[in-house]
Amino acid sequence: MEFSVNGKVVDVDVETTDTAAELLRERMGLTGTKVACGTGVCGACTVQVDGRTAAGCLLPAGSLAGREVTTVEGLGGDHPVQRAFAAHDALQCGYCTPGFVVEAAAFTDRWRAEHGTAAPSREEIAEALSGHLCRCGAYAGIYAAVAAACAGEHDDPEAAAPARVEAVSKITGAARYTTDVVLDGMLEGVIVRSPHPHAKVGEIRCDGPLAELLPPDRVVRYAGQPVAAVAAPTRAEALALAARVEVEYAVLPTVLSSDDETVVFPTKEIRETAPRANEGPLAKAEWNGNVRGPAAMSWRARTAAKRIERARKNGDRNLVEATYTTGVQAHTCMEPHSCVARWNGGELRLHLSTQAMTRVAEQAAERWGLGPGQVHIVAEHVGGGFGSKVNVTTDVVAAVELARLHEAPVRVVLSRAEEIVDGGTRPGTRIDLAVLTGEDGGLAAFTMDAHGDSGVSIGSNAAWHSRFFYGNAPRRIRDYDHITNRAPGIPFRGPGLPPMLWALEQAVDETALRRGEDPIALRRRWDGNPKRRALYDRVSELPLWRDRTDPGVGRVRRGVGVAAANYMYFLDPGTKVSLTVEQGTVVARIAASDIGTGSRSVIAGVVRSALDLAPGQVRVELGRSEHAYGPSAASSCSTASIAPAAQDAARRLRKALRGHSLAEAEGLEVVGRRPRDRRGYVTPFALDHFAIGRGFSGAVVVTEVEVDTLLGRVRPTRVWCGIAAGHIYSPRLARSQCEGGVIQGIGYALFEQRQEDPATATVLTANLEDYRIPGIADTPEIDVHFHTEGWDHVPGRGVGIGEISTMAVAASIGNAVRHATGHRFHDLPIRPDRLLEGIAE
Amino acid sequence: MTAIEAALEAAAEAVRATGGELRAGGTDVMTRPARPLVDLPAGADLHGITWRPDGSVRVGALTTITDLLADARLTASYPALAATAAAIATPQIRNVATVGGNLLQRNRCWYLRTPGFACHQNGGDTCPARDGAHLYSAVVDQGPCVAPHPSTLALALLAYAATADVHGRAPLEIADLYGDDPTRDHVLDSAEILRAVHLPPPVSGERTAYRRATARERAEWPLVEATVRLTLDGDTITTAAVAAGGIARTPLLLPEVAEALHGGPATPDAFAAAADRATARCTPLPRTAYKVPLLHATLVDALTAACTP
Ligand SMILES: Cc1cc2nc3c(=O)[nH]c(=O)nc-3n(C[C@H](O)[C@H](O)[C@H](O)COP(=O)(O)OP(=O)(O)OC[C@H]3O[C@@H](n4cnc5c(N)ncnc54)[C@H](O)[C@@H]3O)c2cc1C
Ligand code: SF4
Ligand code: FES
Ligand code: FES
Repeated sequence: MEFSVNGKVVDVDVETTDTAAELLRERMGLTGTKVACGTGVCGACTVQVDGRTAAGCLLPAGSLAGREVTTVEGLGGDHPVQRAFAAHDALQCGYCTPGFVVEAAAFTDRWRAEHGTAAPSREEIAEALSGHLCRCGAYAGIYAAVAAACAGEHDDPEAAAPARVEAVSKITGAARYTTDVVLDGMLEGVIVRSPHPHAKVGEIRCDGPLAELLPPDRVVRYAGQPVAAVAAPTRAEALALAARVEVEYAVLPTVLSSDDETVVFPTKEIRETAPRANEGPLAKAEWNGNVRGPAAMSWRARTAAKRIERARKNGDRNLVEATYTTGVQAHTCMEPHSCVARWNGGELRLHLSTQAMTRVAEQAAERWGLGPGQVHIVAEHVGGGFGSKVNVTTDVVAAVELARLHEAPVRVVLSRAEEIVDGGTRPGTRIDLAVLTGEDGGLAAFTMDAHGDSGVSIGSNAAWHSRFFYGNAPRRIRDYDHITNRAPGIPFRGPGLPPMLWALEQAVDETALRRGEDPIALRRRWDGNPKRRALYDRVSELPLWRDRTDPGVGRVRRGVGVAAANYMYFLDPGTKVSLTVEQGTVVARIAASDIGTGSRSVIAGVVRSALDLAPGQVRVELGRSEHAYGPSAASSCSTASIAPAAQDAARRLRKALRGHSLAEAEGLEVVGRRPRDRRGYVTPFALDHFAIGRGFSGAVVVTEVEVDTLLGRVRPTRVWCGIAAGHIYSPRLARSQCEGGVIQGIGYALFEQRQEDPATATVLTANLEDYRIPGIADTPEIDVHFHTEGWDHVPGRGVGIGEISTMAVAASIGNAVRHATGHRFHDLPIRPDRLLEGIAE
Repeated sequence: MTAIEAALEAAAEAVRATGGELRAGGTDVMTRPARPLVDLPAGADLHGITWRPDGSVRVGALTTITDLLADARLTASYPALAATAAAIATPQIRNVATVGGNLLQRNRCWYLRTPGFACHQNGGDTCPARDGAHLYSAVVDQGPCVAPHPSTLALALLAYAATADVHGRAPLEIADLYGDDPTRDHVLDSAEILRAVHLPPPVSGERTAYRRATARERAEWPLVEATVRLTLDGDTITTAAVAAGGIARTPLLLPEVAEALHGGPATPDAFAAAADRATARCTPLPRTAYKVPLLHATLVDALTAACTP
């Protein structure tokens, strides 16, 4: 079959079942075209065929015969919309970007042919890009980019510089992700997973080498748990081989509820292997059958309980008491977990989609008995993480073991179904909360019991974080994990906080309503944090809050809600950045990955301004474990760790240059370290490389929603997101990050929920059609405000923003919906069925 | 046998010989587990939009949704078809998805599409959705399967009383394409080829609308969807055709709603009363009760939109 691709005629043989995306990626090496969902929903695989866009993952390869295909590579970076994406920072991790760009280019061309340089409306852009999903939530930048490109603002190639240093490689499809890596002689690995939620595995038979992936007791505890892995030259062959693997299962009773008689982790030893949904150290707790807890973080627990009990007995109006629930939320990064492994003279080399290369390198060295420096990890670009890519995960184990068995490089890429079932989730929760206001209008006490629906994992730790919010009133805080035969939760962007705040911030809102007090004014009184007070002051003066109107009783009702968040400040005190002078430029290196958060740009910016260099004079090389030790891109610690280390390195380089020019200093190298904070840290020594610094970052989110009371739809229309995290190193990128946090919060509040078959706990939402993440049309206008004061004890005066920006969003929506409808929703997500049933009450 | 018939026969024979499935745009078949696929012949008369002397139109089964929407005469003549088609899926899908494929696509039940469940639709004899997770299932229970029919386009074709031209059969009404066997998504056997749909001559001055209820703004399968066509004489409704989807095993024409509207005023009360006739049909499952008010709301919304200039 002949067809033309990016202007070149090619002749290939194809099978009927081949897709265009496979043909382009696997056979022609055009890996700019990504495959993220494989079912026509996300648009990452979009290509133009005779000028019209199509989803390459569903498009039969044979249908390309005689056609002209344009991929992102074919746009060449010269299309105005590409420059606009770069200039407006319409991307973060960049994995969805080629698809968006190909679609947006077709739209822009069409639009301009018909409308000249009139800018399209938000609705028109949303409709054109409705077939694309971005998990990072870069939609605000995408709106701006497409409108500007249509208006002709980027026709001049020099009109605007890219906002992000790696933008050009991401908009042209040149950026190479782990899923794009192809090595000579590489095999494709596939994981055999248990169809049973609970079973003891007996013999496994396979007509080729097989790597077992079972826990020590050979018991699988959720449907979809890895059992073994096999590899073959192509994915199709590997899948066929996997289908032939015979596994003997002795089926055990399925534990669907923690009070079932069967115990999921029957012994102390096997409990030790339970996966963890929390970050950092785990609070001690007893096990009682399938329930682990309470893990208590209380402060004057008995006083709190007594006060609440008394108020309850007296029917005290000042007691606000309710049960809140949240759904299980999947990380579902656009780039699935993926790893390419090869053994090389006793050393292990990995290409890995990871947030935490130094941590994974340590774990891998320990697991495979290697010395430091014998594990080499490359993660040049990473298509999202959100907490799901911080450990040696199954993809790594499978690829490494198979590479050893086959003595060949092996690539393992999870399918979207595997990703959603086993790639990571935020545990669901049920939170019982009682909040008591005293006679003086202050917070008198609260009790919070959080029950985590964390599958086979422990450490759902939602209530825990309420210890540090709203002063020092007595509080009894208890966390329980309810273990069942479901896939484990793992840390997810601000682990524990979004569900905790969904409960607490609605209860605070309810308290204000009962007292007839402005909810911001009440928070301002209760909340001692001066940085957040500055945010309260600012937002209460904005028309969005000040001019709230009566929602009325019409079909569409508008409501405005507020919620706040408080988060610890983490850093990795061991962080280093090296600077080397190479051919008149400064090259910064660090063993860290940029998952779309902007670390490259932060380092480049810091070094450039410290040394007064021009943009082309600094290059940042990230994503190699051999480089100077870098932190995990987790717990919002990256910027707070990396930027001061880069500053220190720049200071050292300036000193070492002793006034010489870069041209005269070829090869000069310095290593900068993260200076200590003034007054040190809360944790006397770093645990697992993390330290907890002094002070809390804060957020205040105000959301306006429109509720269509007829069709049951909630539409956030405007969001104000105020962040108090000190100095902002790279304001445009920081804004993108916060906008993405807001959008993920909207997904959590309104759409996202893992659904399963009640009889078997099999996940039914294992695709991006049934697991619903927000699209561009669900994006409100987002105003991000940074309060930059108050971090003078931190070198560089700035801390992380990645998590704080998402935590309070769902609660602000809950409060806005309460304002709009008069009904308090306790259960997330607020789906149309729930909305209709709620307001009918 | 003409060359066209020979091409159709060859495709049918290939399906019979391989036990495979026909493929048009492939946006549905490619999402399901691999099996032998036979592409519909490009050279036959399956493409294109042809006007007849009597003013009626034939739309070839391989016409893409985008081509259908790009035909100015067609969209002006059949505004309800245009509004309905424009709401289908996403631009990339509409560029490839065909009229025939849309009508004959398999349903989206998550049990059917998750490996490991046997049910009426794949050779089993139970329905795990009925006693299981059925939040998105039907609200008009035609048993034993409760997966809503996925075709959006069918609503418009039902509302226009279109017919289907299936190779080797007499013209079929759209409703007969779906029949009354709830365990199937349509009545054709795997080797039968839909060649085209015919729409009767257009009615000028009709008022139309399409509405769908979803959680997200776009690109989401409807919880409930509806297409309405009305003609008015002043404020009096002179003809009405109403179809709804997302609610039953087949796309449903709702003659009782049309009847209630017929001859009456185009007022909110009349719309609500007519929509009541549709909800009277509902026999919800435990978790689909919300679709009763939602069906009512979607119908009222669509009727209101049709009458709003
Ligand atoms: C993200 C997304 C959202 C979607 N949203 C909607 C929506 O809102 N509403 C909606 O209706 N659909 C929706 N769809 C489904 C989409 O419309 C269908 O997949 C598409 O219309 C099928 O057309 P096709 O030509 O690609 O069919 P194919 O995939 O090629 O075929 C589908 C079926 O029809 C049969 N078939 C096709 N043509 C013929 C013929 N001429 N004769 C006999 N048999 C034939 C095939 O054998 C196959 O069984 C959505 C799809 C996606 C991916
Ligand atoms: S609703 Fe239909 S398709 Fe779904 S499980 Fe039941 S029988 Fe199968
Ligand atoms: S990968 Fe093709 S649409 Fe998602
Ligand atoms: S930038 Fe869109 S998925 Fe990351």
